[in-house]
Amino acid sequence: MNGNSAVRRRAVAGVAWALVVLWMGPQLSAREFPPTVPPPEAISFRLPVVQQLPNGLRIVLIERHDLPLLTLYAIVGRGAEADPPNLPGTAEMVADLLPEGTKTRSALQIAQAIDQAGGTINTGAGWDESFANVSLLSDHKELAFNLLSDLLIHPEFAPQEIERIRRQTLSALDIVTQDPSYLADVVLRRFLYAGTPYAHSEDGTPEAIRHITRKDLVAFHAQNYMPSQTILAVVGDITKQQCLALATRFFGPWKDRAADQPQPAIKLPVPRARQVIVIDKPDAVQTEIRVANLAIPRTSPDYYALTVANQVLGGPAANRLFEALRTRRGLVYGASSDLKCYSAIGAWIAKTSTRSAESVKATEMILDQMKRIRTHPISGQELETAQSYLVGHQALEFESPSQIANQVLEMLMYHLPLDYWNQFPQRIRALNTADVLSATQKYFLPDDDVIVLVGDVSAFKKNLKKLGAVQVIPIAEASRAFPKPEKGSAAYSESGE
Amino acid sequence: MITRSSSFWVRWLLGAIAFFFFLASGRALGAAGLPTLKIHTLELPNGLHAVMVERHDAPVVTVEVWYHVGSKDEQPGKTGFAHLFEHLMFDGTKTLGEHFSDYIVRAGGIDNAYTTDDATVFWETMPSSNLPVALWLEADRMRNLDINQGTLDNEREVVNEERRQRFDNPPYGTVIEKLYQHAFTIHPYRHLPIGSAKDLNSATLQDVKEFYDTYYVPNDATVVIVGDFSLEQAAASIKKYFAPMPRGTHSISPSIPVEPPQTAEQIVKLVQNVALPAFVEAYHIPADGTPDSYPLELVSKILSAGDSALIYRKLVYQKQLALQADSSANFSEDPNLFFVFAVMNNGRSLAEGEAAVASVLDRLKDRPPSEQELQRAKNQVFFELAQDQETSKSLAEQLGYDSVILKSPDLINTEASRFLAVTPEEVQAVMKKYFVRRNMTLLEVYPNQTGKGTLNSEGGAH
Repeated sequence: MNGNSAVRRRAVAGVAWALVVLWMGPQLSAREFPPTVPPPEAISFRLPVVQQLPNGLRIVLIERHDLPLLTLYAIVGRGAEADPPNLPGTAEMVADLLPEGTKTRSALQIAQAIDQAGGTINTGAGWDESFANVSLLSDHKELAFNLLSDLLIHPEFAPQEIERIRRQTLSALDIVTQDPSYLADVVLRRFLYAGTPYAHSEDGTPEAIRHITRKDLVAFHAQNYMPSQTILAVVGDITKQQCLALATRFFGPWKDRAADQPQPAIKLPVPRARQVIVIDKPDAVQTEIRVANLAIPRTSPDYYALTVANQVLGGPAANRLFEALRTRRGLVYGASSDLKCYSAIGAWIAKTSTRSAESVKATEMILDQMKRIRTHPISGQELETAQSYLVGHQALEFESPSQIANQVLEMLMYHLPLDYWNQFPQRIRALNTADVLSATQKYFLPDDDVIVLVGDVSAFKKNLKKLGAVQVIPIAEASRAFPKPEKGSAAYSESGE
Repeated sequence: MITRSSSFWVRWLLGAIAFFFFLASGRALGAAGLPTLKIHTLELPNGLHAVMVERHDAPVVTVEVWYHVGSKDEQPGKTGFAHLFEHLMFDGTKTLGEHFSDYIVRAGGIDNAYTTDDATVFWETMPSSNLPVALWLEADRMRNLDINQGTLDNEREVVNEERRQRFDNPPYGTVIEKLYQHAFTIHPYRHLPIGSAKDLNSATLQDVKEFYDTYYVPNDATVVIVGDFSLEQAAASIKKYFAPMPRGTHSISPSIPVEPPQTAEQIVKLVQNVALPAFVEAYHIPADGTPDSYPLELVSKILSAGDSALIYRKLVYQKQLALQADSSANFSEDPNLFFVFAVMNNGRSLAEGEAAVASVLDRLKDRPPSEQELQRAKNQVFFELAQDQETSKSLAEQLGYDSVILKSPDLINTEASRFLAVTPEEVQAVMKKYFVRRNMTLLEVYPNQTGKGTLNSEGGAH
């Protein structure tokens, strides 16, 4: 099975051509640096069709006809931050139950319909959003709109399905609370965002999952799933006429209701002295490390400068943390940092994991990098590299229609201006090293950060006090470090220091 | 198929098997509604192959360099070398020093690499004007890599951390490794690409230099380019940068022992610090691209693709025995394994789960799937194949795999028909042939709860 003759013919022709080049081509020694190429063209981003139905549902269409695929992404503008304070996990459970039965279809009928169309249904809850996606072969266009509208508008929340999902969720929580990486993220969230609606795990706690009732689920759905808060992105092998006709037919009857009173403004936590939380997992061979500061909401004017600062410190591609911890010292497999920006709040989070004995050293190295970037301006070359990465990388972010849809959804969800992506390159290029320095001084606060370590404390106990006052929590009591199902910032103070 | 993507058990399960199954679904078809691709191939006198597909829908290009060396080429006592070497390829060249990634980053590109049982793959996705840069960089590290004791020692530590992070620390992280150690007796698939820490610690500079000289040569490499470029310019760049390299002088085809047929069922019991019991059944299956591989891929869809699929419906939905249940055919260059696995719900026993799986498998052995069941599976395969063409990276993956592992660069245009032609009786035939007890290794994981169980941490095979 060595290819067919056409392939061989092409290969033979290639060989002949190659021989010519070989004789005439430059010698290897002539090349010492990669060729110089023109900078990438700026991406001129054309806003796709955005239509609004009378009930307020917004529709974004991005056509692509070379592949027989159609995907519908529905984003509802409320997620886990809208969980009732005593019932973390409600938004996720609502989303999980959407494909598990509607007024007119059982869970199995929904599964059979989507499976027969070769496709997938994907639902979940994040922060500031819940989502439901249907993706299938494009000769089932009507089914896509029919199914998605049905499960968004008419979920049944049948008692037996609730019990099934409840049981699965409890089993899953059993597993993930043994996973150091998961634990580190959840514990960090709880301390970093203490006192805000973002401080719990979107997956909930066993206690809350046991107590969520059908009434809670129905109420969450009624309050948060409405057309005026929903954006539908339609991507793939469909025309504008088909899309609007199907959207009107299946989503048109969705009744909007008056929005609730506006959400009370979130009281942002005030940075306080450093908090160090260690979860002791004696069988761990590696320690999961998180170092974080509160930062900015997505729409903050500081977003651009902080994005550049994060790019240099721990962003995608080459960065200082990776260089220091992995390339120079071989302490870790990965080291990176992220800017997580929600609608009302945000954070800068560095993460890595290292062998138990080096836990404190690796943490200190992260802190050193935070200090350095706020005391010394980044170099002109670092600035230029970060800028040209962020601008050039836009081409990759907009490669496929699904990627474009995700960018557009982000823009609409966070109420960014419609020319946001076209403005982005010049906003980034306008920054100088002083702008970046002032952002780092404002937001990277190594003395007021939250540090979480999950690992075998016995292996690094003696160095631990270098990090400051520490609270150590045995893994069996790790739930103590989870958000208590109760209101407000009281959750923070009872854990003490 | 319904996935609750933000649901953490799905994330967890995918995470646990992702490294391992990276290429498991590597397949493509090219009929009935999928575009027919113009695939251009090239072979240089030094043995380097290139496979190229032009697509101008976005100003992006992906370059992959496939070296036909993976963990199955490693000798006993030297496991993990292919993967360790993948790391060393990022540590600088004599020409450029350590500035490889500067060129990727400044262009806004991304790059990485991975190692499987069969191949080591390096890739860049870049704004398309940077194609010559990517090719130059790849040619440079194919020829001029600076291997020294310092980078070797450092990468060894990094790989040890990778091992801890991906295998030793997460729940169930070592299950697949244990399974392969038992399911294979002599074929090198019995060790995973991550290898053993002991072997890595004994790797010498001489060892890795030899590895480089043997395998990182043009006659062991295939360059794949997909995206927004001109064929003439790409071919010229390939020739300019790669043609001056001499062909390798070492033999690159070690004789790989053939795994003898399994003759008796094996049961392996593990006690681990996990919350829930789990089991994996593994059945030996033939290599990818063989006639039986097509109905077997459809079997995995009939069993577990989607919530209406047989295993999910029975174990997770109807009986609520399992938190998650799945199956997957792990096709590769040499014969590999078909997995059926489940993580039990709290309070449910492994025996209940295994009995439920047996009843599903028996049903497909006793009678062929219905036309509707089979059509569903074909639609699901077709959907995945279409998805594989969505980005330059996913398409380059396909072309590289088809060219290097299956030796059919244009398979993507014809493979659909092979799936569509599969009959219900062929599905039943592969069920009867491969899903038999004597062909199975069963691995059971018991939670290590205090006061429970006195099993050895690794019970012997029966």
